[in-house]
Amino acid sequence: MESSDTLKNKINDIQSFFKNTLSSTDSRPVVGWFCTYTPEELIISGGFTPARIMGNKKIVKSESYFPINFCPYIKSSWESLLSGTESLGAVVFTNSCDGMRRLYDAANTYLKHIPSYLLDVPHLQGEDSVVFFRDNLIKMKRFIENTAGRKIGEKEIENAAVLINKKKRLMERFSLIFRKSPHLIYISTYYRIMELSITSEPHTFTDDLGKYLKFIEESYRKNRSVLKANNESSPRVMIIGNFITEKKLWNMLSAMNLNLAADDLCISNRYFTKQVETAGSPDLLVSLARRYLTKPPCMRMADLGLKLKEIENTIRKNNIQSIIFISLKFCDTVLYSFPLLKESFNKMGIPVLYLEMEYNNFPEGQLKTRIQAFLEML
Amino acid sequence: MGIKNRLKAGIQKNLNQKYIKKLLGIIAKKPILYTYGSTFSSVSNKYLNIFTIESLKDAYSDNSHPVSYGSLFIPYEMLHALGITPFLPEVMAGFTAGLGIAAQTIKQSSSNWYSQDLCTFHRSASGAVELDVFPKPDFILTTNLACDAAQKSFYIYSKKYNIEKNFYLIDVPYECSKESLRYLTGQIKNICMDICLKSGRKLDLSKFAEAINFSNEFRKWAIKVNDIRKTLSYYPPYFNALNYILPFHVLAGTDKAVIFYKYMYGELKKYLDRQPKKKPDKKGAPKRILWLHLKPYYRSEVFDILERKNSIVAFEEINHVYWPELDPLRPFESLAKKMLSHFLGGKIDNRINAILSHVREYKIDGAVLFVHWGCRQSNGGARIIKDSLKKIGIPTLVLDGDCVDQNNYSHGQTKTRMQGFLEILNSKT
Repeated sequence: MESSDTLKNKINDIQSFFKNTLSSTDSRPVVGWFCTYTPEELIISGGFTPARIMGNKKIVKSESYFPINFCPYIKSSWESLLSGTESLGAVVFTNSCDGMRRLYDAANTYLKHIPSYLLDVPHLQGEDSVVFFRDNLIKMKRFIENTAGRKIGEKEIENAAVLINKKKRLMERFSLIFRKSPHLIYISTYYRIMELSITSEPHTFTDDLGKYLKFIEESYRKNRSVLKANNESSPRVMIIGNFITEKKLWNMLSAMNLNLAADDLCISNRYFTKQVETAGSPDLLVSLARRYLTKPPCMRMADLGLKLKEIENTIRKNNIQSIIFISLKFCDTVLYSFPLLKESFNKMGIPVLYLEMEYNNFPEGQLKTRIQAFLEML
Repeated sequence: MGIKNRLKAGIQKNLNQKYIKKLLGIIAKKPILYTYGSTFSSVSNKYLNIFTIESLKDAYSDNSHPVSYGSLFIPYEMLHALGITPFLPEVMAGFTAGLGIAAQTIKQSSSNWYSQDLCTFHRSASGAVELDVFPKPDFILTTNLACDAAQKSFYIYSKKYNIEKNFYLIDVPYECSKESLRYLTGQIKNICMDICLKSGRKLDLSKFAEAINFSNEFRKWAIKVNDIRKTLSYYPPYFNALNYILPFHVLAGTDKAVIFYKYMYGELKKYLDRQPKKKPDKKGAPKRILWLHLKPYYRSEVFDILERKNSIVAFEEINHVYWPELDPLRPFESLAKKMLSHFLGGKIDNRINAILSHVREYKIDGAVLFVHWGCRQSNGGARIIKDSLKKIGIPTLVLDGDCVDQNNYSHGQTKTRMQGFLEILNSKT
């Protein structure tokens, strides 16, 4: 039997478990994407590797293209596109928000050499929207085909859907393990793996994740008595926000031993929850359309009430005692939802900490003080 | 103190629905209303104020038709056909600025956790909703066309009034295509049927056709007004077409929009007929400005500076008649086409193409893009718009400010920037 610390160190050693992912020599051209409503399946079926654009942390040129009060993730992404740091075969945008539409316009105007496409994602979720979204997926497929210079077969879409389903299933399993054993996996480890899931070649990542989970589950079985939770008495916290990827934040929360019992973020559950129905599907594009329109929604969708209900269910199911709401600055869709969320949390008697942050400038000291004070109050 | 200032002071002191209702009950009575209207120097302003007050009186009335909140660009023709009174929180936010109560409404929205970085049209409207200043709606209609803000804030209103089931978002697709037209037409039709069901009304197709015909008639007169403005260099005093959001959008589908634009045509035609006789003074003919986006709705010096520097707003993009004639026999599809043809939908190229055609048609010398704080959809395209205009030799002033919150308006900076811009413009031959 290994000591608790030795095992914890092993489990949090991403470099060794994901070394194939990190040193991947995948030579397929990369198609960049920005939003969890982008069906990676279509990108893969065209022979490309999908990778979420993470953006440059340092902004130099981008400021002159967008106003000062504009989504910092979009500015960072634009910086990386302008500086060519990401070698891209094409870019797929979505009409997820006003900012993203303007980013697409900028790419269309100033970076004409990069093939780009904007996928129109409906705001409604009924059957008419599924039909309409399917039509849009056909157009996206055509774009991928034109970029690849070949047709995409039905079987290729199915294979890609099976692969992405497997990846997302494993991620759901990982998320469950993480939530049940916050004493075992650091918050920073969890979100680093989430980041890898959206930026890495999917076959290699899925293989690595499968092996990693097997190791954790076996270790947990063998060492159950050693691995006692040391933060069970601390309040169960849920994080709600948008595309939060700040390593310093995750490290800080890990160091605070925060009991993170649930989240609702673009980098986590909004990405991996729910799979595409492949078995016996007469039309895979309909299945894809349905999956993406009914996955855990972003606040961009029309029915904010549905989102509110989903969050309230998560709170009850996971016995959440407090919320950290953290949004990138100037993200209208998320910021507008806060008054509604706040009212609901008040009714439920759940305290909430409201934070806004930049994408590329993390005020560590200030946030640490605010989070610490909030946790102490609890 | 004149009547306008007395009204303003009264509302500032008594910011509540009861007082507004009482006030409207007095001022909306015909002889008083027309006396009030005649205090405005131009005919168009007279009717703008009369129709605005009548529209507000209907919305605040207890025993009138059902009320629907609406955002800009929704098909108001449908609401008029159904006998539903529209009420526009965004336009009313502009009024909060004009009446000097925006500080109160914005403060209230901050207390309700609306971030300070959000659009002040929506923050001020949300504050007014929270303060119960606006009439209670029976329905709420909004759209994603142009921006994200209305669909979110309007949902919150539906929750506040406990009418989430009567909240409708018209999801306007990004591109105009056969598929998007079908998707949008279906939505408008379904919403119409649902409103009929919930309000116990029957859809009267002849009324719908009448609303569509009024809309077409208004469209015809609005085009005629715009045609005059292509060569007009001198305007009636206090003429400011950035104020015409109500007749252009909300009254579309009523005879009032037709009357308003007919009067405006007559008024401007007189100025056009007099124009050749009026010789340009030593400064020469005024420089012609294209105004992009909106303006401050509180008292500001912006337009006085233009006038002092011998410049006029020759056209505003918000007055562009962007849609084709509607077909009274296919009302839902026509209204879908109208929404899909909006220049703020889809790629920014749609807006830029419209801007470039305004530059040609209205013989524009320079453009002012008013950068309203928190408006991502417009401001996010400022650089592309500026670069596109630069290519054809048209200088653009990207003027930072706020349409509603006076505290975000820097008098000195605005003056300096505008003067600098106008000097460049006037130095060009």
